[in-house]
Amino acid sequence: MAGLVGMSGMDVEGVHHAYGRRVVLRGVDLRLRPGSLCGIVGENGAGKSTLLRILSGELRPARGVVRHGGRFGYCPQHVVLNDALTVRQHLRFFQRAYRLADLRYAEEIMDMLGFTGYAGEQAGVLSGGTRQKLNVTLALMHDPQVLLLDEPYQGFDWDTYQRFWDLAARLRDAGRSVLVVSHLAYDTGRLDKLWRLDGGLLGRDGAVAA
Amino acid sequence: MRFHLSRFTLATGFALAEHGRNRFAMVLVILFVPLWTTLAYLAMPDTPAALQLHATGERLTPRGNELTEISGALNAITLITGFMMFSATFSGNRFDRRLAMAGYPRVHLVLAKVTALGLISAVVAAYATAVTCLAWSPRQPLLLAAALFSAGLTYGALGVGFGSVLRREVEGMFAIVMTSVIDLALQNPISSSGADSPVMRFLPSYGAMQASTAAGFSTSAVPRHLAIEFAWFAAAALVALLGFCRRTRSTLPAGPQSPGPGPDSPAAALPAPRRAAAPTATADTETP
Repeated sequence: MAGLVGMSGMDVEGVHHAYGRRVVLRGVDLRLRPGSLCGIVGENGAGKSTLLRILSGELRPARGVVRHGGRFGYCPQHVVLNDALTVRQHLRFFQRAYRLADLRYAEEIMDMLGFTGYAGEQAGVLSGGTRQKLNVTLALMHDPQVLLLDEPYQGFDWDTYQRFWDLAARLRDAGRSVLVVSHLAYDTGRLDKLWRLDGGLLGRDGAVAA
Repeated sequence: MRFHLSRFTLATGFALAEHGRNRFAMVLVILFVPLWTTLAYLAMPDTPAALQLHATGERLTPRGNELTEISGALNAITLITGFMMFSATFSGNRFDRRLAMAGYPRVHLVLAKVTALGLISAVVAAYATAVTCLAWSPRQPLLLAAALFSAGLTYGALGVGFGSVLRREVEGMFAIVMTSVIDLALQNPISSSGADSPVMRFLPSYGAMQASTAAGFSTSAVPRHLAIEFAWFAAAALVALLGFCRRTRSTLPAGPQSPGPGPDSPAAALPAPRRAAAPTATADTETP
């Protein structure tokens, strides 16, 4: 296949996975093009979590290939923070991880998500919504070319929810590849493409035009 | 060099900050060490207990309460460092994984944890030695501190190992407590008739127990037994390291960290809305 890895985007080919005799993924193919905002929905137990673990590099598929082109960002569904560290300390830690010269970009994201005032707070004392904002910021702060977001807006109030979609659209318009995974097909009109994971296979959802 | 030092320093600082915010552990350090060792000293009879010290071959008859106090100090430091490292590992597993997959060098994270463990063990060992010296006078206080330090390191590494493989917090706590209790109780001649058994040589704190007993009641140096304890630490740390590397590895073919934009990138800015036709600026990066 031509592949997108030379530029950006993500290619997924024939991904299979099973837990013992229980087959979860039966051959998932997916191509995420640069400058696209796409979604995957599926009911509980459809295999979304397994697929996401494979796409993010946490789990090796039984068969199949996943290729990312360019910088990769992943926002896990369950908030992954260190409760003993402050928001600022999280940013400094990931600044080093991503090798960023400064935190201006992260601060812009914080500003857009509306939690700049919490920089000195320990993650353990933040509200669920603010923790999720930090969770998303850590995935975005290096301006990834491929961005995988797992239920990214859980805990957001309506205003933040709207700003999140605005941010996602701006990233798409800037040429980034954004994949949002959710168990509910909310706001499908904001997506360029929507897949439904069902029976271990990924199919186009009729609700969204290409 | 600056690249490595900055990451090591940052990770070490945050590891220590995390331990410092573990208030229960701080209370344990401050209260549990003097409480346990003092109770052991005061409550146990001071009747001499005959024992053969493997480390020197000497036949010793230390007072029972002093011998139990040493055992109590070892028990205290092993529980504290084991608990602190288990707690940090258990709660930080997924965060470490996220950091490593984001590109934080794993070797720096590991070295930071080892450094934090070393500092914690040194502080608790010095504290326990000072408390011991208030009650009675060990023959070699520095050797006692070194023995306690080595036991603290070993159990800290065991705590990391337990934190990596066990699924529930209570399982880890039970594992640490039971390991320490079995390990030390079997070696105590006051409480165990099998303290002279060759099997004792394979227990995790055998080297530290021998060295600390020599420190208390002999003037002989016991470098070999200190080395045995450090070998236990090295083995436990190696297992913990392998677990850490396995836990934090990425299955993606090229790894998640593709080369980022160079340091000459334009100033960082969020992309503007489409109709503003703004350039696609990216975050600045630094070079290693």
